[in-house]
Amino acid sequence: MMKSYKLKVQLLFLIVCFIAFPLHSSPPQARELIQQAMDHWRGLSSYSEMTMTIHRPDWQRSMSMRSWTQGDKTSLVRVTLPKKDAGNGTLTKGNNMWTFAPKVNRIIKIPSSMMSQNWMGSDFSNKDISKSTDILDEYDHRLVETREERGHSVYVIESIPHEDAAIVWGKEILFIRDDYILLEQQFWDQDGVLVKTMKTSEIKQLGGRTVASTIRMFRQETPDEWTEISVQNIQFDQSNPDFLFTLSNLRNPRR
Amino acid sequence: MMTFQLSNTVIFILAWRNLWRNHRRTLIMLSAITVGVWAMIFMTALMRGMVDDMLLNGIRNLPGEVQIHHLQFLDDPGINNSITAPDAKLLKALQSPEVKAWTTRVRVPAVISSERDSRGITLLGVEPGREVQLGFDISSIIEGRFLTGNNDSGLVIGAKLAERLETRLGKRVVVMSQDPDNNIADRGFRVVGIYKAKMDSLEELNIYAGLTTVQKLLKLEDKVSEIAITGKDYRHVENWFSTIKLVAGQTVQTLPWYEIDKYLGSMLAMMDGFVLVWIIVIFLALSFGLVNTLVMAVFERTREIGLMQALGMRPNMILYQILVESFFLLSIGLLIGNALAIGTILPLQDGIDISVVAKGMEMMGSSSILYPALKLNDVLLANIIVITLGLLTSFLPAWHAASFDPVEALGKD
Repeated sequence: MMKSYKLKVQLLFLIVCFIAFPLHSSPPQARELIQQAMDHWRGLSSYSEMTMTIHRPDWQRSMSMRSWTQGDKTSLVRVTLPKKDAGNGTLTKGNNMWTFAPKVNRIIKIPSSMMSQNWMGSDFSNKDISKSTDILDEYDHRLVETREERGHSVYVIESIPHEDAAIVWGKEILFIRDDYILLEQQFWDQDGVLVKTMKTSEIKQLGGRTVASTIRMFRQETPDEWTEISVQNIQFDQSNPDFLFTLSNLRNPRR
Repeated sequence: MMTFQLSNTVIFILAWRNLWRNHRRTLIMLSAITVGVWAMIFMTALMRGMVDDMLLNGIRNLPGEVQIHHLQFLDDPGINNSITAPDAKLLKALQSPEVKAWTTRVRVPAVISSERDSRGITLLGVEPGREVQLGFDISSIIEGRFLTGNNDSGLVIGAKLAERLETRLGKRVVVMSQDPDNNIADRGFRVVGIYKAKMDSLEELNIYAGLTTVQKLLKLEDKVSEIAITGKDYRHVENWFSTIKLVAGQTVQTLPWYEIDKYLGSMLAMMDGFVLVWIIVIFLALSFGLVNTLVMAVFERTREIGLMQALGMRPNMILYQILVESFFLLSIGLLIGNALAIGTILPLQDGIDISVVAKGMEMMGSSSILYPALKLNDVLLANIIVITLGLLTSFLPAWHAASFDPVEALGKD
């Protein structure tokens, strides 16, 4: 009786070991890593104040803006400075996107034909802005490498879009640090040529988390044309009122 | 009777000899008429060829000589103006022997993007088999293949578009459009075929995907944008068009090609008018030379004409003689001119390569190889105009000669 009890315990231990073993010693799953990085960056909801700098060889301009996000698919961005752009707003809900310009006092739904155009003249496309979390479901992810850099592990993940996914890239390569900071996202074409890169150039303690505070987007062919977003202030997991992500709020800001 | 025939022969001989008295002047006039007639016929054939080409191209672009659309589709070719696929009654009408082939299509504006670029295009969801029957030239696929079925998940794009997008066969591109609820509908497609069209603008415009694939993408269920039907000869659509229109009913718009593309439709009528104007303009230039020649001839022969009148030739015979002389001149000119025109057109039947000005021709909807089209009607028109109006203009100097006073005429040096 006693012996069979012991056997059972041993067996149980073995089973637990078997289940636990892959959890602990194998590297984290690629998809989970990206999910974590997204959640880390956005939280359940977030509010942030940031500056976007658009740089060209012969000119440069900066815009200050405020942004709210709720979950994966809902966000509102509003420009506060400079004065002539103040009040320009962008609302995204799911795959749809609306912009509002106070000068013409109209809300425009961005049609599909404009989704691949620049967002506010930057190097980000409308699609980049509205579909940033599509990377989770529309790609197959594979962890290709784990590096050690300045005391952190950096996971290199190769994401290949599904055959019928609405993504032009041949593959994307993401560099995610073990504290879920997305260090770099590379966009490769289908011939294996790197086309554009989104790179984190500054990491800061903001809103109680360590986050990428400055992100730069540039095309490989034109490295002296770039757009940089730097976050000054961010707050996570604060409840957003329902009216925030509505068209009427886009037009007449209550917040 | 005898005397009339005799005088007739005499007049003909006189006219013929007079014609060659100053043979250098006659030859110059002859060559002017020849070149004029040649220009009339040759240029008309070129124009006809160009217009025929535009028409064929235009109809091939549509394609489908009769098309059924939503009432608003032609004004607003959007996704919301779709119609249901042909019902049993229409299907039966489409079985008619007059109908060579028919197909259904989804036709929506869309955006195609590659890694490097994106462009506005027209997305065509087609039934590949039927589309080929309708006139899609399978040999225009220069790389890869055409679609194989309604469910084909591949995409066929134009060579020029591929070049613009910096993409090629076997690569993926994204096509974006809108579903009926105005939501963005997009998906990736692999380029399975690249076609070459006669015109670059078409290559950049149309992309082909399977009908069912597109319907699924756009959440259209089994709706389509158009039903395209083609008969045996595009010039004679009327015979079967009305039957189809009756069966299709009032809820949709059934139109023949010349109504869908009014520009094309008016082209034929415009061309007929143009040919006539062209021929008359050339003739006007010719007629001055002709009148001048005859007036000179008459002045030179003032004494002679006076003598003939004094000897008893009636004035209308003199008029007759000058007209015959002009007739000879015109006929010989026409004969050589016609021969020359036909002689230059026949070797060019295989087409004239005008790719140097292809861009301009393309704006007119014509392709870069010109096939002259020699039409019997145009040749007849040119000949009849030259002879009739030529004789009419010669009437003036002839009448002038006939009204000489013999005494005065004889007195001239």
